[in-house]
Amino acid sequence: MLPSRDAGIDRYRCRVHGNRSVTSSVGRSAEPQLSRIVAISPDDGSAIDLRNPALAAVLSWAVPGLGQLYQGRTTKGGLFMAAILTTFVLGLWLGGGKVVYASWKPGDTRWAFVCQAGAGLVALPAVVQSAKLLGPARQPLFLSSFMAPPLAAGQYVSRAYADQLARHDPDIQPDDFFDKPPLKQFRRDQLAQWHRQLGKFFDIGTLYTMLAGMLNLLVIYDAWAGPLGPSDEEKKRREAASASPTASSPVRAS
Amino acid sequence: MVATTTVTLTTVLAMSPWLFDTPLVGMLAGRVPGIFFGLPLVALASLIFAATHHEDPAAIRLATVHWTVWLGGMLGIVLAAVLLLGWLQ
Repeated sequence: MLPSRDAGIDRYRCRVHGNRSVTSSVGRSAEPQLSRIVAISPDDGSAIDLRNPALAAVLSWAVPGLGQLYQGRTTKGGLFMAAILTTFVLGLWLGGGKVVYASWKPGDTRWAFVCQAGAGLVALPAVVQSAKLLGPARQPLFLSSFMAPPLAAGQYVSRAYADQLARHDPDIQPDDFFDKPPLKQFRRDQLAQWHRQLGKFFDIGTLYTMLAGMLNLLVIYDAWAGPLGPSDEEKKRREAASASPTASSPVRAS
Repeated sequence: MVATTTVTLTTVLAMSPWLFDTPLVGMLAGRVPGIFFGLPLVALASLIFAATHHEDPAAIRLATVHWTVWLGGMLGIVLAAVLLLGWLQ
């Protein structure tokens, strides 16, 4: 059943769960063909207007749930946004703002960031900080260590960033840097310091942020193709319920 | 959107020393046993799984409960097995 808002559309291309694809035409074939991609709700069989699925998927990657909001699925969009972003920020908070960083240095390749990047723009500062710290300036944006990769032994940083770390990080002293004008060279392993400082929260925070990013992949798929539909077990249960003469509310076929 | 992102990024970076103060984390979260940090993740995974399989809010709620029981049950069984093995050693 298609909702009344779609009455003026000539052609529907329905992407249904699985590999089924249904194309139906609704009159007025002489007029220019308008196509709209819709998904079928597994719950009541109604059509879900996916608008531009590719754009919705990109929006859902950028900000979890934004693609669903763009499609007019406000409840799900708000739900996804609140759940994913809360988990990501909670993980970041548990990890003291240090668990999300991008690093591809030998010996400290941060593969967890591949999963964390799935959460979208909230992980973007890590890329910016990494690029700035390894760039010609040798210091992160605003001299903030937030989402900046840890300093490895022997790494060169700007004097301003070294002074900033020595002032604000209780684990770093001014003599932890060799003076190599115009830069300074770190002589310890900051990642080991983080592990010692945060203990289990480094791993818990990493897990939270990784899971938020990975679950957002499902949200992106939902924006692109609509709901996946119930599991086979749930389908059998529904069929059994609808076949039973005592079933009170049979579910419409999707 | 670019402007909003830039403003948000700048604000978060500027506020980061206060937002993610580690002594506060230690004070609040340090008292919670580590195993309880897994419960929100089970709830989150169940909610996202349910919401990506359904469209109706009532169906999402019901499926969330089903997924939570299933995931929690599986993880509970694994935990019990690990504890049992540790106890037997």
